Amino acid sequence: MKVSRVFAVTKRALRDIKNDRRTRVLIFVAPLLVMILFGVAFTGNVKDVRVIVVNNDTAAASSSLSDKIISNFDTSTLNVAYSNSESDAIGQVQNGSAYAVIAFPSTFTQSVEARASGQTSIPQENVTVSILADKSNVNVANPIIAAVNNAVVQTTQGQGHQPPVSVDASNAIYGANAQFIDTFVPGIVSVAVWQITMLLTLIAFVGERTSGTLSRLLASPLKESELVAGYAVAFGAIGAAQSAVLLAVAVLLFHITIVGNVFLSFGVIALLAIVAEGLGILLSSFARREAQAVQFLPFVVLPAFLLSGVFWPIEAIPEWLQPVSYLLPTTYAVEAVRSVNLRGWGLDKIYPDVVALLIFAGVFLVLATILLRRRE
Amino acid sequence: MKDDVCIRDLEKDFGGFKAVNKLSLRVKHGEIYGLLGPNGAGKTTVIKILCGLLRPSSGEAYVLDTKVPDPRTASRIGYMPQELAMYRGLTVHENLAFYGEVFGLSKQQIDTREQALLKLIDLQDSRDTLVDQLSGGMQHRTSLACALLHEPQLLFLDEPTVGVDPDLRASFWQYFEELRDSGITILITTHYMDEARHCDRIGFMREGRLIAEGSPQELLELTHTDSLEDAFLSYSRTGGSA
Ligand SMILES: Nc1ncnc2c1ncn2[C@@H]1O[C@H](COP(=O)(O)OP(=O)(O)OP(=O)(O)O)[C@@H](O)[C@H]1O
Ligand SMILES: [Mg+2]
Repeated sequence: MKVSRVFAVTKRALRDIKNDRRTRVLIFVAPLLVMILFGVAFTGNVKDVRVIVVNNDTAAASSSLSDKIISNFDTSTLNVAYSNSESDAIGQVQNGSAYAVIAFPSTFTQSVEARASGQTSIPQENVTVSILADKSNVNVANPIIAAVNNAVVQTTQGQGHQPPVSVDASNAIYGANAQFIDTFVPGIVSVAVWQITMLLTLIAFVGERTSGTLSRLLASPLKESELVAGYAVAFGAIGAAQSAVLLAVAVLLFHITIVGNVFLSFGVIALLAIVAEGLGILLSSFARREAQAVQFLPFVVLPAFLLSGVFWPIEAIPEWLQPVSYLLPTTYAVEAVRSVNLRGWGLDKIYPDVVALLIFAGVFLVLATILLRRRE
Repeated sequence: MKDDVCIRDLEKDFGGFKAVNKLSLRVKHGEIYGLLGPNGAGKTTVIKILCGLLRPSSGEAYVLDTKVPDPRTASRIGYMPQELAMYRGLTVHENLAFYGEVFGLSKQQIDTREQALLKLIDLQDSRDTLVDQLSGGMQHRTSLACALLHEPQLLFLDEPTVGVDPDLRASFWQYFEELRDSGITILITTHYMDEARHCDRIGFMREGRLIAEGSPQELLELTHTDSLEDAFLSYSRTGGSA
């Protein structure tokens, strides 16, 4: 392999992109828009959910436990309204103007105190805060339940009642103050680079085949491996540049947490781009025209988007589907970049993911070279 | 005189269809050999085999004394495919520079050769124009320049003058003759019969076979015609029984 010829190919591929404004927009602006849209629309914290409190507790205001719990509600999550009638409150949830009814039984304070002083005969329902939530959207229902639980724990601790188990999640091992966007950015960077590199490779190679430039190159001293390597360097560099731009904007706009070495994460993304290039060359040989090549995209991009841990962890994917996740190169890139950015891990800890990507890259690049070397 | 191209009983099968059928021919060192024949006769297929892009189904072909396919001949041959084979998103100069680098030319060599070739194809003013923005004929002219850039000993030109205006075609043929006189061998295909008379020898292909061969003069005598145009028509119709 001759380095000067490899770089000739690299330079050529980069020039194509440099000369074409639309491709530049595709590479740098499109993923930014996607990231910003998700980042703004989807901060991950549910805010201002309207709930109706029906407080039937008959205890005097000064000693009412229910009032104390209500005063401990996280008012940024819950937008609290009151009603005296449970059926009226349920009606509001049914017509969609509220998400949940939070009801306290009439003997609530009295029963809790009686229980605390050892009277075990008090029925459970008398000490239960009931939440009747609209669970059609679990992303809303779960935060409501969590907010009420928190308030209960906070109040009972303040009262000196020890709840059976105490939970404290305020200290974090990794990702203190991490928001949804912090977890999401490594995912969107990986998927964007994966998708765009795949698209660039498919278009470039279908073009090389149909325009005759590939014939000309294969009849020249350029080796097939040099062609594959030249494109790999070009697309690897573009992938790294894309991730740098995305990360910079995410830091400026969303103040995302980055505790690790960003250059390590750029390297991981460059490697992912090379994997995409190898697979793209293989797929391009099954297409006669660009329009056919583009039809492969959903099959390659959608699984990466849904199954490589961008939005939810692999553990949340049904077990029978998880093997598919582990066959996706993006899974390893997302995991590695997330570990670098949020956990501050170095190569010594992310190497299993890097090795997985190297294996993918090696296999695809070798197959791509063999495929180009094949003569009808 | 030694032969730069030597083809023996060459066959190429495309899934049962014989695009080249028991073809044998030789191109002598320092001659212009014109491969003529109707569309689909197999001319491009022969050239692709000689360039190592297709594998012969049977028979053999030697290029510069090396049996094809063999990557060692690549640097000494120049190939102009029938398709445009240019990067449309790159300028004329960027295309030439790229192919030059692939052939291992230095920056200086590329510059010198580029100047001479742009003069030949009369595109000095379009050096920095995107290929996409050139007219069809101009695009073909740049494609020829790319094939000539590295000063190959042996040229395979597949319809190099398609879409080129008569004035420039004449200067191309003058250049081809100059190249030949300097010892370069050229295998060329064309559908312009007025050009074919510039060839030293012509091979006439039909349905994958070579059905006639000789100098332009000899072919005229064989077919009892006055022009190569008529000779072509005679061969196309009768399959060489004339
Ligand atoms: N890859 C292929 N697969 C199947 N058939 C092919 C392939 N390439 C060429 N052919 C067929 O082989 C025959 C010869 O094609 P070829 O391109 O060599 O013709 P040609 O003489 O160059 O014609 P033209 O003057 O139109 O350029 C044609 O019938 C063509 O359809
Ligand atoms: Mg042809």
